[in-house]
Amino acid sequence: MTTEPLLQVTGLGIRIDGTERDLVSDLTFTLNKGETLCIVGESGCGKSLTALALMGLLATPPLRVTGGTADFRGRDLLTLPAAEMRRLRGDRIGMIFQEPMTSLNPALKVGDQIAEAVRRHTGKSEAEARAHALEMLRRVRIPAPETRLDVYPHNLSGGMRQRVMIAMALANAPDLVLADEPTTALDVTIQAQVLELMRGLQRDTGTAMILITHDLGMVAEMADMVAVMYAGQMVETGSAAAIFDDPQHPYTIGLMSSMPGLDGDGDRLVTIPGVVPPAREMPGGCRFAARCPFADAQCAKVPPTLPVAGDVSHRVACWKAPLDAQVAA
Amino acid sequence: MNTEIILETQALQKRFTGRKPFFGEAKVVRAVDGINLKIRRGETLAIVGESGCGKSTLARLLVRLMSPSDGTVVYQGRNIANVPAEDMRHLRRDLQFIFQDPFSSLNPRMTIGALIEEPLLVHNIGDRQDRRAKVAAMLARVGLPASVIDRYPHEFSGGQRQRIGIARALITEPKVVIGDEPVSALDVSIQAQVINILQDLKEALGLTLVIIAHDLAVVRHMADRVAVMYLGEIVEQGPVADLFANPKHPYTAALIAAIPVAQVGARSAAAQLQGDPPNPIDLPTGCRFHPRCPHATEVCTTTRPALAATGPDRWAACHHAATLSLQGHAATGQTRSAAAQARFDLYRDRSADAARTTTPT
Repeated sequence: MTTEPLLQVTGLGIRIDGTERDLVSDLTFTLNKGETLCIVGESGCGKSLTALALMGLLATPPLRVTGGTADFRGRDLLTLPAAEMRRLRGDRIGMIFQEPMTSLNPALKVGDQIAEAVRRHTGKSEAEARAHALEMLRRVRIPAPETRLDVYPHNLSGGMRQRVMIAMALANAPDLVLADEPTTALDVTIQAQVLELMRGLQRDTGTAMILITHDLGMVAEMADMVAVMYAGQMVETGSAAAIFDDPQHPYTIGLMSSMPGLDGDGDRLVTIPGVVPPAREMPGGCRFAARCPFADAQCAKVPPTLPVAGDVSHRVACWKAPLDAQVAA
Repeated sequence: MNTEIILETQALQKRFTGRKPFFGEAKVVRAVDGINLKIRRGETLAIVGESGCGKSTLARLLVRLMSPSDGTVVYQGRNIANVPAEDMRHLRRDLQFIFQDPFSSLNPRMTIGALIEEPLLVHNIGDRQDRRAKVAAMLARVGLPASVIDRYPHEFSGGQRQRIGIARALITEPKVVIGDEPVSALDVSIQAQVINILQDLKEALGLTLVIIAHDLAVVRHMADRVAVMYLGEIVEQGPVADLFANPKHPYTAALIAAIPVAQVGARSAAAQLQGDPPNPIDLPTGCRFHPRCPHATEVCTTTRPALAATGPDRWAACHHAATLSLQGHAATGQTRSAAAQARFDLYRDRSADAARTTTPT
């Protein structure tokens, strides 16, 4: 695997107009070519806003980017003019959203939608684009792809629609795919099929992926790198092995222990008390302090930064890390 | 385990009929198709299956939020499928329901206090003072401060609303509570809080709990027994640990294999099932699972298998249940690295300490 960076996000901030603090605050991460970065967190942690900001799709106003850069192949996605951003989207950057029914055009046949994405960004003729659309439907393993070219999205099941979305996102062999909860609306057996498909296509094409999810199981299965977000901040980041085998941040640990396991040890779940702070009232210090069993007065006042823990790629934003030292205290 | 039956269905059916076209017959969906289920007093029974398998319809039939097309639902010796509406109203004191989306099931114009008190009024329980006291006690039990009684549902987050939904369902001290995906709309950390509340209350109040769910990890954690549904039928049933370790129906095995496990490299990549569930209007012949089943043979395409005993307290509806050796989820005991486990323990102990030192208000 090459470790050449494809996307470098530095200090990204997103704010709602009229609020004092950034909702998404000082986000920094690197995505290497061909790798999968999973951004994991619960509702309101800013994971979807981050994706929208990178795609230039943030609803401005009331939201706006307050700072930072997102270097994608030498260009800053955050300051790119709208017209150039449109050229990138659907070509170098593909998108897969949670609800294929709301992101596909209900009035267009699926073959035409895929062909449109191809023709918009390449010089292909109508016939070539249609042939390419057929090839894409075949690659996402839609049965009887010749006939499916001419059906409308509502004729397809949820799993099939999501395959069409994937076909469209990958039609122009993008360098990066942003997938926001791509299987959340699907049943588990269908989810397993779609994940397997995405992994296979990614292996074949070498596309890098940012996968946004709330499901730690999916993270363990798909991720090379993981970024755990809480209330708009990245609290921990590292390789999938580092996050799962050596979790450092109390939120990461709390999130994992909140998940019921399949071994049925029958223990009471260890939970994270309380709720996420409201988007307009982000606290000043560590945003997790109010729910953290390790927090003290300093945590609530001073926001922790992401220092280096262990190997350089595993970083944790916590005053109390490494927690093992707390045993002695 | 107590094996006294508290609620039982016999050959329960619910058919939904479409509009009759100009030519031919109206199309019929058999959402629940001949289900025999015995629910034991004090147990947690989980009904699992994918979208469209009829599990939510079954849940509603159990408390007669819907009337069956055929068959019976027997509660304490009475067939509630045909009791008069007035009697059913009385029975609802014993049979309560928790909805998936608490927001759409709470009247937005009523205060939380009024919402939780309402079932007591409907059932003429206690005087004003008693009711107030019961509401206050129930709020404490579901972990909400007493100050919420004058507030409205929109002021609360999803997890808090579900606590309100639970309080409302349990205020009449029911015997059986049916939860239709009670935690699936919630974030992981909030879901864990609500699961703990449900389990604590079940214990404290001696409830029988029926959980409709699609998340098998939640089922594994909460249930004593599991019934797996596919296209309107129960295809497998048994005690939770045994069923997860040794599934007898290929569909159960596929469901278990499809669960993403939060451990790197824990699961082999291949998806077991190809294709989508068939259209419930146009059911396959024979075994309904045969078009997707990797083990299907000739007999499966022609003959519908009956739910038959495969072991102690185990049933499966598969022609090949006796000969197939299917892989379940083997409980390995040690799924976390030593470092991770140490930190989980530390987190748990610290959380317990923190809970002790801060007195709840």
